[in-house]
Amino acid sequence: MEKKHLLLTIVTPEHTVLSDKPVDLVTIPAVGGEMGILPGHASFVVQLKEGVMHYKEGVHKEVFSVLNGFAEIHKDKVLIMAEAAELAKEVNEERARQAYQKARETLAMHGADIDLDAAQAALKRAAVRIKLAEIRRKHKQ
Amino acid sequence: MASLRDIRKHISSVKSIKQITYAMKMVAAARIKRAQSAILASRPFASQMDRLIEDLYGELEEGDFSASAAKALFDERHPGGIMCLVLVTADKGLCGSFNTNLLKAAASWLRENRGRKVRVVAVGRKGRDFLRRLKGLDMEISHEMVGVFPKAGYVHAQLLCDAILKLYLESPVESVTLIYNEFKSMLAQRIVTDRLLPLKRHILEKNACVRRAGEFSFEPGKSDLLGALLPRHIGAQLYRALLESQAAELAARMSAMESASKNASELIDGLTLKMNKTRQAMITTELNEIVSGSEALGS
Repeated sequence: MEKKHLLLTIVTPEHTVLSDKPVDLVTIPAVGGEMGILPGHASFVVQLKEGVMHYKEGVHKEVFSVLNGFAEIHKDKVLIMAEAAELAKEVNEERARQAYQKARETLAMHGADIDLDAAQAALKRAAVRIKLAEIRRKHKQ
Repeated sequence: MASLRDIRKHISSVKSIKQITYAMKMVAAARIKRAQSAILASRPFASQMDRLIEDLYGELEEGDFSASAAKALFDERHPGGIMCLVLVTADKGLCGSFNTNLLKAAASWLRENRGRKVRVVAVGRKGRDFLRRLKGLDMEISHEMVGVFPKAGYVHAQLLCDAILKLYLESPVESVTLIYNEFKSMLAQRIVTDRLLPLKRHILEKNACVRRAGEFSFEPGKSDLLGALLPRHIGAQLYRALLESQAAELAARMSAMESASKNASELIDGLTLKMNKTRQAMITTELNEIVSGSEALGS
């Protein structure tokens, strides 16, 4: 019998991370807990929380970080819509920490000319990255 | 008549202005590529999101829907409340009639809603400054966002979305209108005046029940999911508006700067001609003087 695959698609508002990539196994951080998906899974729509997502393709394994989104599983197609998704190994914890500090300082200054929105956005991003780096560390141990 | 030196000075100043406008044109041209691809990249997410909302609505029973929190976003509110305007302008000028047209559209909207209580969410420095200068209106800038262009990201749209939803849910806002420039082509922008909230029902009913009901399982419940999806739908819409406006601004700046460079070239040509004529006239007069002087001596 031919081996079945899942087709994985990850889209974020800023770009399409993966499009119809055949994989063997996907795990996603659902609100109710981690969820593993194999080919033949029932149709499902689920809300995601921030966390790590794995997929396995043969022996090759990849870890992604996702942030607040939704996943839809239908007919062996997995569609992930997240506000942000990054390859976990691309997240640099040290840089994230620095960015977090900088954003905090900018916000604390409260000057007239400071771009508060950008600082707030940077703060949010950095906080998520740090969280992801921590999650990744935990998973490695 | 202007002296030679004056004309030379004028030419060099026009030349340096031309250098600046030309550089700005090149910068805009380089950025517009990225802005356009950002628009394209945001499309899959938005369309998938819309599809999921439709599907979800198709699965919902009418009773479930009216009980859910999501319904508040669709309900028409009774007229007479606060009007809310989201105005997306550029941060910087030098982009032709881009901002002027937007501000005109905003002013006519404000005129239409004269006498009403108006709350404004201003994106872009130009719009904010314009609204601040307005006097004699019952208007308040409830949220402002400046300096996001040309690096508008989804986070900005999200912050904006949070602010608007907070305003919408906490105070008796009748409707939220969005005014922005749409990127039509490199040469044309179109001003779009769109109602953002309450949401239009047709996003739900486009082609619901394409799939059979009961096929999906949901976690958490359907109405909770819908409630979580809708703010993101608004966020995606705002993100699109930001990106469109950003691309349109760059396109407008590019064409404005191109025509400015062209005008500067023409001006330089004209001035060079004038300078040469003046110089020739000077030489002729000098020659004339010399010849007539020698003739006076020789005769």
